[in-house]
Amino acid sequence: MTALAPSPSPASAVAPRRTARGRWYLAAAGLAVVVTAYSLTVSSVPLPFGDVLDALTGRADDALSRLVWDYQIPRIILCWAVGAGLGASGAVMQSVIRNPLASPDVLGVTRGAGVTALFVVLILPATPLSLLPVAALAGGVAVTVVVYALAYRGGTTPIRLALVGVAASACCEAMIRFLLMRYPQDVNGSLIWLAGSFFGRTWQTVAITVPWVVVCLPVVVLLGRRLDVMGLGDPMAVGLGERAEGTRRLAIGVAVVLASGAVAAAGTLSFVSLIAPHIARRLVGGRMATLTPMAAAVGVLLTLGADTLGRGISPPLEIPAGLITAVIGAPYFLYLLMRTGR
Amino acid sequence: MTATVRRRHPARPWLTAAAGGLALVVAAAVWHLTLGAVHVPAGEVISALTGHASTPGEMIVADIRLPRVLVALAVGAALAAAGVVMQGVTGNPLAAPDLLGVTAGASFAVVLALTVVPRLAEVSTVALALCGAAAAGCAVLALAGRSKGSGLRENRLILGGVTVSALLLSLTQGLIIFHENNAESVVYWLVGGVNLSQWREAWTILPVALAGIAGCLAMAGRLNVLALGEEMARSLGQRVALVRLCGAALVILITGACVAVAGPIGFVGLVVPHMARRLVGSDHVRLLPVSALFGGALLVLADAVSHFVNPPNEVPAGVVTALLGAPYFVWLARRDRKSA
Repeated sequence: MTALAPSPSPASAVAPRRTARGRWYLAAAGLAVVVTAYSLTVSSVPLPFGDVLDALTGRADDALSRLVWDYQIPRIILCWAVGAGLGASGAVMQSVIRNPLASPDVLGVTRGAGVTALFVVLILPATPLSLLPVAALAGGVAVTVVVYALAYRGGTTPIRLALVGVAASACCEAMIRFLLMRYPQDVNGSLIWLAGSFFGRTWQTVAITVPWVVVCLPVVVLLGRRLDVMGLGDPMAVGLGERAEGTRRLAIGVAVVLASGAVAAAGTLSFVSLIAPHIARRLVGGRMATLTPMAAAVGVLLTLGADTLGRGISPPLEIPAGLITAVIGAPYFLYLLMRTGR
Repeated sequence: MTATVRRRHPARPWLTAAAGGLALVVAAAVWHLTLGAVHVPAGEVISALTGHASTPGEMIVADIRLPRVLVALAVGAALAAAGVVMQGVTGNPLAAPDLLGVTAGASFAVVLALTVVPRLAEVSTVALALCGAAAAGCAVLALAGRSKGSGLRENRLILGGVTVSALLLSLTQGLIIFHENNAESVVYWLVGGVNLSQWREAWTILPVALAGIAGCLAMAGRLNVLALGEEMARSLGQRVALVRLCGAALVILITGACVAVAGPIGFVGLVVPHMARRLVGSDHVRLLPVSALFGGALLVLADAVSHFVNPPNEVPAGVVTALLGAPYFVWLARRDRKSA
């Protein structure tokens, strides 16, 4: 089994030694701090780090501290929440479905959540913002169930599941485009739903997204050990006292919740949930208990990096983070595709 | 060869389907010509088509609406024929220009030229679109060719094509954001339509579409032989690689021209051949003309329906074709085939 295998059992996984793993965690945390600090200084106006520090410690003038506190910080917090949610969600899905191509975006969860969220935003504007993640969740769950049901033929192969998921995604994308045409948006509004973007997100969005991630992330991390037992195969897992089917449904459910919450905040950000677990598996091995936190960390780095890059390339123009993750993620998906199912 | 295939399907259903397709095309075109900011009654439409345009209504039909309908007809028919050829050449029922990245490649090349080297785009958008279509198509086929066995028949080919499409669409969006900050132009190069077409576009696409469809028809017999399987075709003396090359060239020509004129319009090339196959069977001599008729009718109808999406604004017909075609893609994707 290679490092790319969907759900390596603990014994055969490429499992670096404990100290090496610790070092990777430290490196990821350090890198996240550096990128976050740098991201604070990237804005449509020049924003030196000294000024940011002043604003953070309350010594700056009103305009500057408004800029930092009301625009930069909520955006960065959202990048953290969305990235962690997508990364962890992808890791769980790949493990449970035992499919290296499985992830919320390949299976259509992301776009499904996008359709219902956009529907609520455009057609029921009176709906309180806090219900947006719930609407996204409904769409995400619906698409997951439909895709799995359609691809299931007494079992399912990675490629078939991915193909049905991609087709379902295309279907949802057609609906998103129809809604955007029927109720025309400004360009940034459209790009949030077509590509995924953090443009103009405020504390309000933070308030509706972060709780979902804070609740669900520990759950999937704690599920890690049980998922590792499941990795031994169902008969073995049942023999060891695991309720295999229940655990599987719980894990998938929480993963869909995480992905849908992320979509409600940032639109249909693609490929983060697919690549983050693969990168993490290379670094810390395939045991879910250690993989999920690392996948979340890699997800944060990817999301934050893409958003920072998108804002920094040519201010004041902004490239949506979703376009950048797609440009990084699509070639990686092609690479995975060529290796899968040989 | 074709004779034996023909005997299995009696002639009448084929003629009925063709006549039905033709009637549908005419009905859809007339209905479409009555629609718009000013309602022009069908009688006036017909007199405008047959005689001299004298009343304002007749002039609107002849000068503004007719080119649009002709472009829709030509693009729809050509894309459907291209879909048939692509499915025949690859032996993959899901193969279609938009699912294999050819459409996205053409639109990326045009947008790249428009934004980076505008002078190049003045020369010929058709040539640019052809280059883009060729490059993207070759890239996807090369990716698939690297997998073992007959990579063209596999689902992997489609997944790779869809991913290359997504990548190219993202790049296209990025270019447009740098160039022009308005939502309509972003969406136009992601979802094509014929709502901006005038006589100039009509004269560009009509000859290419006709030549393309004629080329496809000329290949029909060879596609029938290829449908027996690569081994069999080879032992019957067919030069399989040459047939595939010609088919790919035709698909690229048609797709490039259509994208240059109408932007990327999805799912016509996927859905119509399957519908036509249900009606007339898989003999390409019949399948191709019937597909072309139904493709033309579908796009004219989609463009007519798009009048009602967000009135009084015009929206691209590609929105409607995607809405109709994507569920069909889901249904086709779930059918069991060799997928490893």
